[in-house]
Amino acid sequence: MPNGRQSPERPAEVERSALSGLDELTISANGAEVRRASEWLDASCRRRNVPQASAERLALCLHEVLANIIAHGGGTALSAPVRLLLEVGFEPDTGKASVTVSDAGIAFNPLLVPKKVLPKTLAEASSGGLGMVLIRRCSDRLDYRREDGRNLLTFGVRWNAR
Amino acid sequence: MQFIMSISYSDVGENLRRIVISGRLDIPGTDSVASKLGELVAAPKKGVVVDLSPVQFLASIGIRALISSAKTVQQRGGKMVLVVDGGSSVLMSLEATGVDQLIPIFRNTADAERAAVA
Repeated sequence: MPNGRQSPERPAEVERSALSGLDELTISANGAEVRRASEWLDASCRRRNVPQASAERLALCLHEVLANIIAHGGGTALSAPVRLLLEVGFEPDTGKASVTVSDAGIAFNPLLVPKKVLPKTLAEASSGGLGMVLIRRCSDRLDYRREDGRNLLTFGVRWNAR
Repeated sequence: MQFIMSISYSDVGENLRRIVISGRLDIPGTDSVASKLGELVAAPKKGVVVDLSPVQFLASIGIRALISSAKTVQQRGGKMVLVVDGGSSVLMSLEATGVDQLIPIFRNTADAERAAVA
């Protein structure tokens, strides 16, 4: 398994090239499959040397996106496969990883959701909207597009790779 | 990878209940402990400490369960506090959603227990 450490035989550029790439998974939209997706993401991030803190942010975003699909995507979202794509890449000083989630549910652009005002007291706290708060706070990049009847939501993180 | 959820409690005197949760508070994990958590915080104790230090992952569904529990305790005049490891992903979830400003968080059980009954 690549460990990302530089050695005379294997310079950092070669190592990074080996760690860059794509991983894919297809799941169903239900709670048990959300956990399988988490395990897949964790294993893929470890294999590609994504730092743990960045992998944890991706994992939270992935969970919340899938939870939204299950709760609000409608019958088509629940019956059609959900496709996941992890992309990991490196620039000279920066590593980056993103996950694209593709679902066939009701069109939903999370970028258009108004930002939630966080409550100041426990009595003010409501149960709704926390997932979007987590997605926004834990990602460095968020893109949405609708293609061929599917929502494609991409969230990404970056880290210092020096 | 196996994730085993558990929830347990111990009463410390008349006024304090300590609840320990372990595992992942994702969709299936929270589904498996939420109703038990609701029962445990409903007991007429002044203070409730929920120890999340063995929890590896906290999603919004788990945060909702914690908010609901803290409200239950507050509505009967009590106080609920959390124990969370510093630098953990659980703390990241609580800070990202501002819940650390709503439910007091401590790094160790002794401080949490003192605060819960203060």
